[in-house]
Amino acid sequence: MRIILVGYGVVGKGVTTIITRKYANNTSDYGFNPKIVAIADIDGAVINPRGLSPQKLEEIKQKGFPISKDPDFGQPNITALEVIRTVEAEVVVEVTPVNIKNGEPAISHITEAFKTGKHVVTTNKGPLALAMPALTELAEYNNVYLRFSGTVGGGTPMLEFAKRCLAGDKILAIRGILNGTTNYILTEMSQNRISFQEALATAQKLGYAEREPSMDIDGFDTACKVVILANWIMNKKVTLKDVDRTGIRDVTLQMLDEASKRGNTIKLIGAIDGDKPTVKPTEIAKINPLCVSGVLNAVTFSTEYAGEQTLIGRGAGGIETASAVLRDLLDIRHRLANRLLS
Amino acid sequence: MKKIVMKFGGTSVGTGENIRHVADLVTQYAKDCKVAVVVSALAGVTNSLLEVACQAKKSDVKHIENFTKKLLQKHIEAISTAIISKQIQKEVSQITEKTISELEKVLTGICYVGELTAKSKDYVASFGERLSAPIVWGAIKDHKLETQWFTGKDAGIVTDSNFGEAEPLMNYTTHLIRERVDPLLEKGVVPIVTGFIAANQDGVVTTVGRGGSDYTATILGVALQVDEVWIWTDVDGIMTTDPKIVPSARMLPQLSYQEATEMAIFGAKAMHPRALGPVIKENIPVRIRSVFHPENEGTLITKEADAKFTEVVKAVALIKDVAMINVGGAGMVGAPGSYAKVFEVLGKSGINIMMISTAVSEANISMVIRRNLVGRAVSTLEIALLGKGLVSEVTAEDDVAVVAVMGANMKGTLGVASKIFSTVAKAGINIRMIAQGSSELNISFVVKEKDGPTVVRAIHEAFGLDKI
Repeated sequence: MRIILVGYGVVGKGVTTIITRKYANNTSDYGFNPKIVAIADIDGAVINPRGLSPQKLEEIKQKGFPISKDPDFGQPNITALEVIRTVEAEVVVEVTPVNIKNGEPAISHITEAFKTGKHVVTTNKGPLALAMPALTELAEYNNVYLRFSGTVGGGTPMLEFAKRCLAGDKILAIRGILNGTTNYILTEMSQNRISFQEALATAQKLGYAEREPSMDIDGFDTACKVVILANWIMNKKVTLKDVDRTGIRDVTLQMLDEASKRGNTIKLIGAIDGDKPTVKPTEIAKINPLCVSGVLNAVTFSTEYAGEQTLIGRGAGGIETASAVLRDLLDIRHRLANRLLS
Repeated sequence: MKKIVMKFGGTSVGTGENIRHVADLVTQYAKDCKVAVVVSALAGVTNSLLEVACQAKKSDVKHIENFTKKLLQKHIEAISTAIISKQIQKEVSQITEKTISELEKVLTGICYVGELTAKSKDYVASFGERLSAPIVWGAIKDHKLETQWFTGKDAGIVTDSNFGEAEPLMNYTTHLIRERVDPLLEKGVVPIVTGFIAANQDGVVTTVGRGGSDYTATILGVALQVDEVWIWTDVDGIMTTDPKIVPSARMLPQLSYQEATEMAIFGAKAMHPRALGPVIKENIPVRIRSVFHPENEGTLITKEADAKFTEVVKAVALIKDVAMINVGGAGMVGAPGSYAKVFEVLGKSGINIMMISTAVSEANISMVIRRNLVGRAVSTLEIALLGKGLVSEVTAEDDVAVVAVMGANMKGTLGVASKIFSTVAKAGINIRMIAQGSSELNISFVVKEKDGPTVVRAIHEAFGLDKI
């Protein structure tokens, strides 16, 4: 399977690592032979229609930016869109940075891939949060697949669990801790009795929080994930602006203490429970399975017949997200094989 | 009196001078034969028309004006050298101007609508021949010969509506051509018919696609029940091999239809098998000959190769731009339908297989395909078949070439294969894959591309093809 990788940050590098490392046993275990034929970034691309070799990928990774300086296959003056348009491949893996203002350049990358008959795996929440109903319709119209397990839960297969393992049941509500950074901050505050600012500073020092932390602490990241869950699992055509969102900036130590007296704690919960999706700091019982600490994520699906199911796992890191990409690639491969032999 | 259809290709009518030469040839043969002429567009014109039509979808009207201006200039230049009589020059120029003004309108229309359908593409492509035929007509008229020109549509060539690759309704076409063209021929008039273009039963312009003007010539030949169809081209005939590889390559005086069909891999220098279709059924010989050396008889393609010409091997071709794909796996052994799966996957991906070879052990199958498709072929085969216990490996080699050795008399002759392969072995070259169909007209094998020319030269010499 020929792959065009668009974006070469932490996740992009993780994807190349996972594909090169698993190269050999993928072939024997799953009969899956992925080849990265191009990597495109803001400053150009490396392209080799025969597939960039593992050594070559390692070399590129070690040299770092700009990838287009590669003496063998570098092409400095080509845009990612041109690469998507002109290089032959089955799948485009879109892992550019998140932009929740207008979803670009990822939305253009994804639609261009669709137009040229390429399937898309993305870990980018931006385009999905802003335009998920539009993108899924376009994918269907062009008879290609759009997969995005890396956007929610990262290494924890939340989307597949709900879609596959709960098939046939009716999912009534989804509630979850979907952001590791805010969960870490809230856990630190309550366990070590420190202020929000102090906890944020620790999180930043440990690399859990960005220097510009708004995406996490104002609940945007959680809201994006809620949108994706609502669309994919519950068929609700919502986008980011439909989410009623409150971050954790105003959660005080005092509020946590009072909740604790009642045997509860405060978590940033994303929920789709009724019509309006919400993201807000919510008091939950400490014995609730959803109540996980540190950077862990958890999600509870309330179903009509099977009751409540909770999934706990690690949130997103480069390699966890890359493993989600591999999962998506295998899924697409499986579907394509069925299509070719039907 | 012999009846002959003569087709003149793009290079034969490439310039005014060449057209004049064509008119000389026609005049010369018209003395003792009944001649019907089929003409292609001026060299390069059809391609440039299709190109501008594709661009018209997204370009501005200015671009179209520039194009038509240049096209008009090209044809006016040809008219001024091809035709001497000022009166005829003027007449042909008027037709040309009118035709080009119609073309400009069509292209402008495409530009505004921003859409190029197969139907309008055929219409645009038809202008090449619609422009060349009147010039040839003028040049022949200049020789004081009575002549009349037709579009394929007016001559009566009726096809289905499969635009871009239309098939003639042969009986209806014959009926119409006999009514419209045959009487002229009988009166000694030289009819000129545009090649490549025809029309469906509603009169909408179509093109015949692969085989092009050669196809028109054989259709016309069959309809008029001629004695021979002559394809005038820029080569002396079909050669024993590419003279660029073997300078001592010779022209083949005679070939059977079957052999000529095998020779199609020689590409533009041979005839497309599709064009041979009509004449094979009616047993009408085709002669390929050079406009620049009309003294040469060229290559005659007939039902049975002449008994005098009994060489076992007649030609050897080198086919480049190919790649070899190997699909292997112990799971394929004795598993019914495993090859079918391989072919199905390639077929669904729009990949044409040129050559197949497989051992009776059934553990692998090798195929040759066009080189530009190798990435897609490997990837789709892997996606569909790997990891299911059937196929364990798909590999490709894209630095290979196919050598094809051809000749109808190879059939039943002992020792041909042995001679071919010992020749290759003597040259110290390894063969990667071999295929011979049971028709025994052709043995094809794969070698590394860099060894291709050496192999062709060695075989050409071993079978004495330079002495034909």
